[in-house]
Amino acid sequence: MGFFESSFFWFIEGLFACLAIIALRTWTQDKGIPMPFWKWPVVIVWVLFLAVSIAYIGTSIGEGEMDAAFFGTIFAAVIASISGVVAWRLLRMR
Amino acid sequence: MKTEEDRPRRELRVARRTLIKAAGATSAALGLSGLGLCGYQAGRDPDSYTGCEGLQGAAQSFNRKKFAVDEPPYEKVGPTRRADGRTEVIFSRVGVARSAAQMGKRIEDLDEPFRSYYEQHPEDFELDKQNSELRRKVAEDSPENRNRYILAEAWADAMGAVSPRPIGNEPPEISDFPGRRSRSPFKMKSSAATAKLIKKVSYEFGTVLIGITKLNHDWVYKYPSSRRGFAMNEPIEVPKHWEYAIVVGTPMSWDPMYANPNYGTSNDAYSKSRIVAFRLASFIKRLGYAARPHTPGNSYDLMVPPIMVDAGLGEQGRHSIVITPELGCNFRPAVVTTNLPMSTDKPIAFGVQDFCKNCKICAEQCPSGAISKADKKIVRGYKRYQLHSSKCFNFWNSNHGSLGCRVCIAACPYTRKSNWVHRTALQVTANDPTGISDKLLAGMQKRFYPGPEPSDFYAATLGGKNASYREPPWWLRTEDFIEL
Ligand code: SF4
Ligand code: SF4
Repeated sequence: MGFFESSFFWFIEGLFACLAIIALRTWTQDKGIPMPFWKWPVVIVWVLFLAVSIAYIGTSIGEGEMDAAFFGTIFAAVIASISGVVAWRLLRMR
Repeated sequence: MKTEEDRPRRELRVARRTLIKAAGATSAALGLSGLGLCGYQAGRDPDSYTGCEGLQGAAQSFNRKKFAVDEPPYEKVGPTRRADGRTEVIFSRVGVARSAAQMGKRIEDLDEPFRSYYEQHPEDFELDKQNSELRRKVAEDSPENRNRYILAEAWADAMGAVSPRPIGNEPPEISDFPGRRSRSPFKMKSSAATAKLIKKVSYEFGTVLIGITKLNHDWVYKYPSSRRGFAMNEPIEVPKHWEYAIVVGTPMSWDPMYANPNYGTSNDAYSKSRIVAFRLASFIKRLGYAARPHTPGNSYDLMVPPIMVDAGLGEQGRHSIVITPELGCNFRPAVVTTNLPMSTDKPIAFGVQDFCKNCKICAEQCPSGAISKADKKIVRGYKRYQLHSSKCFNFWNSNHGSLGCRVCIAACPYTRKSNWVHRTALQVTANDPTGISDKLLAGMQKRFYPGPEPSDFYAATLGGKNASYREPPWWLRTEDFIEL
């Protein structure tokens, strides 16, 4: 079994996710942005979309499907940018 | 009031918060990159070569129970008729047309049943006559082009080099039954236990897929397609002991399959499925029951795809090949007919009929135009898609490599390796009752996974570019290993 299929890899990913969440909390506190419960799903959904898109692009490259990787990147970039602006506005709401 | 002494503590707190934020940002970047690399690995992983990851049935992993239906997903619309194996199977009739072409014969000069068949299908006569000429034209291609397929041809031959001895010309009442060594049939404890046993040993014999059904006599040829104990011009009376049909299937090697039509071969899966079927028939006979293997290339007394559907292995697609949830259509099947009592599997409907309605990728990619973009037709009393086999076989003779094409198999969106992307897509289409995902995924498939122009698949001497659906794997690139 390779590193990327191991439980250790997912443990590290989990660790990174925890650190990122703590950092986000710290950052919003410093900026004085309130984080009521409904903002967390907005952030999580957006990050998950980004994560799945990156994994898809990686998988397509691994499969040798360069068209899929290319169009996947464009598709993800457009959706992530539009939804990112919306998410950012929601996040900044006080 | 904040004093000068508080300053270092404040600075420390600020520094700590900055560190947390920096670490979080770095973690997010690393985490996302890790997912990208994990995806890359998933795309390359040999474990995604479904059906090649191990025996013991591990690959037959789709939850069929959830999609089980009482009636198979094809429609019986009128009086049915059994297929004539002598004329309706391309391999049986094509030799007659070829020699007619050599001898300058016309349809009316042919013997029955070929005369009647070609009178009803004059287009097939013209197409079937062309094959030798097409082969000759392909052979005229430059040595440079022809030699590119030396390794692919060697590999295809090697894959077909091991084969069980075909069953002889004894009638099924003799050849299907155990020989002298065996006793009367053992009494089996239960049909459910027997089915479980048969599936387990079949996995041990090397199958990847297996399903069991009662044999529908509509699928047995009316007249045989090859001599296997039947007289060629007498209708087959379905033997009473052909009560059950066990269907097995094994995949073709994935990378050459994607590089069809000229780098792939059916021989690898033919050979594996043949061996499984013969082993299984031998096993059943030692239990004292009758068993007859029906195996590829053309050693069948029946039509395999609808039996696969009945046995719950998949659904028949627009290209006429059965689509299974695990292997898509990248497999070759074999059947064993038997009187060993077993419990049977239910057919499944996992959304293929709806998906095929608007997908049509196979029809768009097919170089010969053999796959129709039109709706289903009524064929021998059943509503189904029908492949134009004469057009298809013409293309088999119009490209390099081992005989065949298989582009429709490679292009079908269900024929994808087992990684999270394609497994997720399969689950989405199978579970979406609205049909929205069918349209979305078929559209994405066309845009994201395009293939060459269909005409490019032809040999250069026939106006094509010797294209393959995808690049060949490194180990079939002749030019990298042999001085040409
Ligand atoms: S095997 Fe090739 S020619 Fe035949 S139907 Fe499929 S794509 Fe068309
Ligand atoms: S390519 Fe599309 S239309 Fe053709 S069999 Fe596969 S799913 Fe159906």
